Amino acid sequence: MKREVRFAEIAVVGGGPAGLCAALEAARAGARVVLLDRQDHLGGQLIKQTHRFFGSKSHRASQRGFKIAEALTREVASHPAVEVHTGATVFGFYEDGVLGVEQKGRVFYLKPARVIVATGAAERTLAFPNNDLPGIYGAGAVQTLVNVYGILPGRRVLMVGAGNIGVIVSYQLLQAGMEVAAIVEAAPVIGAYWVHAAKVRRAGVPIYTSHTIKEAYGKREVEGAVIWQLDGDGKPIPGTEKDLAVDTICLSVGLSPLIELLAQAGCRLAYVPELGGHVPLRDENLQTTVPGVYVAGDAAGVEEASAAMMEGALAGLHAAYSLGYGQQDYEARRAAIREQLEALRSGPVGEKIRRGLSKAIIQL
Amino acid sequence: MLPVDGIPTPEDIMAKMPPPERLARGPVVMVECFQQIPCDPCTHACPRQAILPMKDINEIPRVDYEKCNGCGQCISVCPGLALFVVDLTYSEEEALVKLPYEFLPLPAEGQVVAGLNRAGEEVCPARVVKVVATEKMDKTAVIWLAVPKNMAMEVRHLKVKPRGTTVICRCEDVTLEEIEHLIKVEGVRTLEEIKRLKRCGMGPCQGRTCLPLIAREIYRLCGTEPDSLAWPTYRPPVIPLKLGVLAGGGSDDAQA
Ligand SMILES: Cc1cc2nc3c(=O)[nH]c(=O)nc-3n(C[C@H](O)[C@H](O)[C@H](O)COP(=O)(O)OP(=O)(O)OC[C@H]3O[C@@H](n4cnc5c(N)ncnc54)[C@H](O)[C@@H]3O)c2cc1C
Ligand code: SF4
Ligand code: SF4
Repeated sequence: MKREVRFAEIAVVGGGPAGLCAALEAARAGARVVLLDRQDHLGGQLIKQTHRFFGSKSHRASQRGFKIAEALTREVASHPAVEVHTGATVFGFYEDGVLGVEQKGRVFYLKPARVIVATGAAERTLAFPNNDLPGIYGAGAVQTLVNVYGILPGRRVLMVGAGNIGVIVSYQLLQAGMEVAAIVEAAPVIGAYWVHAAKVRRAGVPIYTSHTIKEAYGKREVEGAVIWQLDGDGKPIPGTEKDLAVDTICLSVGLSPLIELLAQAGCRLAYVPELGGHVPLRDENLQTTVPGVYVAGDAAGVEEASAAMMEGALAGLHAAYSLGYGQQDYEARRAAIREQLEALRSGPVGEKIRRGLSKAIIQL
Repeated sequence: MLPVDGIPTPEDIMAKMPPPERLARGPVVMVECFQQIPCDPCTHACPRQAILPMKDINEIPRVDYEKCNGCGQCISVCPGLALFVVDLTYSEEEALVKLPYEFLPLPAEGQVVAGLNRAGEEVCPARVVKVVATEKMDKTAVIWLAVPKNMAMEVRHLKVKPRGTTVICRCEDVTLEEIEHLIKVEGVRTLEEIKRLKRCGMGPCQGRTCLPLIAREIYRLCGTEPDSLAWPTYRPPVIPLKLGVLAGGGSDDAQA
């Protein structure tokens, strides 16, 4: 079969906050960019985030996530040097540096001089009896259902996991009119920012730390869940079971970086639990061990949108620079982004990320 | 404890309390933000710069209580919904709490809602004094709640009581709870007032269903004697008629 290969300067795979900022930064430096996303809308995770974001005011904090996505999408769409393809899934990264793209049933190939992979992360799930009953979802999937499509998955939900995502999605399910029976968290402490936990708690949602789901039950769909307490070693304590009548169970037990394309490209990977699992090794500019291949955002390590935007910008800036663009402003711009990124990660809640990055960032 | 169940301890709250002399002088902000997180919008939100600038965005916000006048403008900006304004001088018996609220329907001014504490327990009835929800606040409303004075440091959320399922007026869809609220809280005493406020008696049944039921609630709650309660004026038509019939003086169906 004859395959048609198009050439490009910079291809960005994934149009979430990381990809959008990578494309913008590279285009502003003067490079021509092809931005590919498999969804029909740019914005990635942000399009379903109806809450106000943390971070620094100078970086859109206090704005709602979907508004940030709208603003970035507008900027990208109006930049003449960015060619946007939505509904375009990159299905393979071949040895010769060629990307295979499927768009609305049609396949084309792209050979970019630089590739920035910003594919985000996938939700993890949990093994427990009857976990295949209808009514059990990933928290992110439920957030899409409720906030993007306006569909309630049920009436009463058990949330498993009290990280930021579990707690924020619980809050949004309350806003949508569902009852949240409880949030359970296997760890002895809540992972979410305390202000988030406090706001669901005062709305009447109990949070049980050192607890997990024992099983789901129901004939054809979820009719309830049994939770139980864990001891200091994380072992369940028989006799502590509580039965909750719920028709929906949401799992919010972490994300794993989507690194398949990077693995195909031959990037060296390392297992870094602090970053969510296998991640590509890379240098300070987000360039992986394969020259010309960059990573940014949750695909580089699960963190958050502000960090994803800054990583995207750093990768875009360097990719353009390495092609000869933006030589004059490069150092100043790079220093400014890095300073903001460091400020974001410098506090106590950034400790885990810093630990993870120290294992993933190498000198190339 | 916050990290274990999401509830701040009394010591946590003590540490966030404005000084007593400042509380005694009127409305003032209370910043219930307990953890070092990378977040700073509050420091940019106050027109009087009462929430002090941060050197590092991971700092816990600090307040110059002398600069704060309790306006509440900062409340809707905080992504953690951690900012409140407390006014202990609101009235003899009541304190005012201004809090962020992101649920629909918004309560109405004058409505009595349940005041919830930081654990989500109902602790007292609370009266909605004002609902501030401008375009700029982008869907984070600020609700002013009047609560008993000893509840000023307890009430941090509210629950709009369900409307109830006992329907009194089917034409205009008015429930028993709504009628009780008018009588008990708003001090309404006559059928005429209820008719004007809720349209009971103005629908297709013209009061045949609802007025006797409402009258019974007035007798029950106010001890009014049945013959001292004035009935609203009966105006023609006593049963619904098509306007065309009245205007044309004949049957419009016959012409069709
Ligand atoms: C409930 C929830 C609340 C959050 N709250 C906050 C918050 O308050 N503040 C904050 O900073 N962060 C928050 N985050 C985190 C933030 O949303 C993510 O960290 C951020 O979206 C990561 O950006 P990204 O661009 O790396 O990935 P994503 O946003 O996941 O975008 C990846 C994009 O890549 C596309 N893609 C993937 N694979 C392919 C492929 N093979 N071909 C083509 N396209 C592909 C996807 O369609 C997607 O659009 C929250 C996340 C969740 C789920
Ligand atoms: S209540 Fe008003 S004066 Fe006080 S900190 Fe908030 S915005 Fe500033
Ligand atoms: S804006 Fe709110 S959550 Fe953020 S630091 Fe200020 S008080 Fe805390």
